[in-house]
Amino acid sequence: MQIASTLDGNRASLSLNGRFDFHSHRDFRAAYEKALEESGVREIEINFRGVDYLDSSALGMLLLLREKAESTGKNVVLCGLQGTVKQVLDIANFGKLFSVKG
Amino acid sequence: MVGSSLKILIADDTLTNLKQLEIVSRRAGHLPILAADGPTAVALFQTESPDLVFMDIMMPGMDGIEAVRRIRALPAKKWTPIIFYSALDGMQDIVRGLEAGGDDYLVKPASTQLLLAKLNAYSRLLSLQQKEQGYIEELESWRLEAQEQARLGAHVMARLTDAEGLRDPMIQSFNLPADTFSGDLLCAARGPGEVLNVMLADAAGHGLSAALSAMPMTQAFYSMTAKGFPLASIAEELNRKLKAILPADRFVAATLASIDVRNQTVEVWNGGNPDAAFLTAEGKVSMQWASNHPPLGILPPALFSGDTDTVVFHEPGQLVLCSDGLVEAEGADGRWLGLAGTLDLLARAREADGGFAALREGLERHLGGRPGRDDISCILVQVPMERRREVRAASPMPRHQGRVEEWQLSLAFGASELRYIDVVPAVLGLMTQVEVLKPHQGSLFLVISELFNNALDHGLLGLDSSTKNLIGGWEIYMQHRAEGLGRLDHGRISLSFLLREDEGRAVLDIDVADSGPGFDHEAWLRGLDPSSGDTRPHGRGLALVRSLCADLKFPGDGNRARARYLL
Repeated sequence: MQIASTLDGNRASLSLNGRFDFHSHRDFRAAYEKALEESGVREIEINFRGVDYLDSSALGMLLLLREKAESTGKNVVLCGLQGTVKQVLDIANFGKLFSVKG
Repeated sequence: MVGSSLKILIADDTLTNLKQLEIVSRRAGHLPILAADGPTAVALFQTESPDLVFMDIMMPGMDGIEAVRRIRALPAKKWTPIIFYSALDGMQDIVRGLEAGGDDYLVKPASTQLLLAKLNAYSRLLSLQQKEQGYIEELESWRLEAQEQARLGAHVMARLTDAEGLRDPMIQSFNLPADTFSGDLLCAARGPGEVLNVMLADAAGHGLSAALSAMPMTQAFYSMTAKGFPLASIAEELNRKLKAILPADRFVAATLASIDVRNQTVEVWNGGNPDAAFLTAEGKVSMQWASNHPPLGILPPALFSGDTDTVVFHEPGQLVLCSDGLVEAEGADGRWLGLAGTLDLLARAREADGGFAALREGLERHLGGRPGRDDISCILVQVPMERRREVRAASPMPRHQGRVEEWQLSLAFGASELRYIDVVPAVLGLMTQVEVLKPHQGSLFLVISELFNNALDHGLLGLDSSTKNLIGGWEIYMQHRAEGLGRLDHGRISLSFLLREDEGRAVLDIDVADSGPGFDHEAWLRGLDPSSGDTRPHGRGLALVRSLCADLKFPGDGNRARARYLL
């Protein structure tokens, strides 16, 4: 999975591309930890537009990010949900845990 | 080899040569071992297992070439370099030496400087080799340990999963692991009132780490089911437990279902699993329960919801629960089996076993012999229509023999406690501590549930039982009940139990009273008359109590029930 990070004011954006699964662990963590360290960042947006597969360990990584973001007063937003990715997140009811933008 | 100090075997029949190599070895900080002929060299190689060998060629008896051949023929655990050190300097001699198993060849006489340089070079090589050997051993010990942990995990998981409850005649199931063993957990057990509870839990990941997350669930599921706790309370407890012990990135998707054949209801809680479905005998999907909660172990107890969805079934059928491993089982073309594909396999089967075999065959065909990427599990519950209106006289208990000490229990609950306490399982938990009452847990659960629900539903909440007779009435009734309970701000229910001896017979007096206005039991008793042909579901509750007890009376204003239960 490739991750493109951008910083725009108080929002950090991570655009994911490819399969988001067990093997993405290190890259995903490295990407969000940089965003967490930015004290000006209030919102971390995860863009799934380029993701074609999501497994349960990816859900675990999102939960871990959510916990860390909460402890530093940041909000995690999921966006670009479509197809299988949307289905997996819907079944897990992640809409009740994260802010979701179209 | 200790640190960088090498054990060096030196074989030479000439004392001067032995001395030279011995001095060089010692100067470089190594430990020389000396052999004056071939056989001694071979023997010392075996007993001392040196790190490096200097070998002369021309020796009386066994020459150096033969000695090296023999050494190389020995079983070796490590590489031991052998350096020939000989006066023979022909190309053929050198080739012969290397072909016999030598690694290097020095022609005598060599300067001390050259010998020292060679020694240092081999010392570096050997220390590299030692490091590598260390890694290999470490890797091997990790592998063995992982294997051992997997064996333990598989054993414990097998024990936890191999529950008596899964052999219930109403249940068929399979659990195909993606790893050495599955992280999917299937559980089934009967509650005290004959209600069948099943659970299909799928922990994130697979193998040992997934199984570890699922393990704490079994105990809570079985003990709470046995005590008659409602499904919502079981889900809440499982979530509380998992939230407390799992790290943030671990969770367990689960479907819990409660099948009550007597009341013709199926109740489901689904958090993170594919839809549960009810298939009629004709193969029509009459109900689907989508996941409407996050999986267990994520939300703190205050935010968690144990809300379930209950439906009344009016024809026999089968309840299907599965893990995402089944839905996402990949065919040769990468296509998923899908929920629709799963239900289709079941629906098309007309076999007597309700399509279970067809589903397994269809899945195998779909996978085409390849293992699933994830654990694949499924529970199928055959749900019958109970034709008999009376409850089967729960296996008749042998009459209690011997003396009974008097035992008494009185409890009263106000409105605020009634809103959240599971009164019946709590009371039953206390009662079944008593040796004499323990075997009667099932019947007592039914009797106390009916009397308590009667007091709560009609006495305090004023619900109208006839609602249940409408189409979709049960659901409406349960909704009114939940709303009423949420609003309940006054009222009281008291329960008292007296175990005593009466004319040589052990008797339990059960008394349940509420603070409501009471209701017309006369009308109800008329409805019980078999000749009136009443088969309404709501009439069956108290009829059941009457069939299980020796006596049932409604003294006072109709807000008190008194039952006499024989032991």
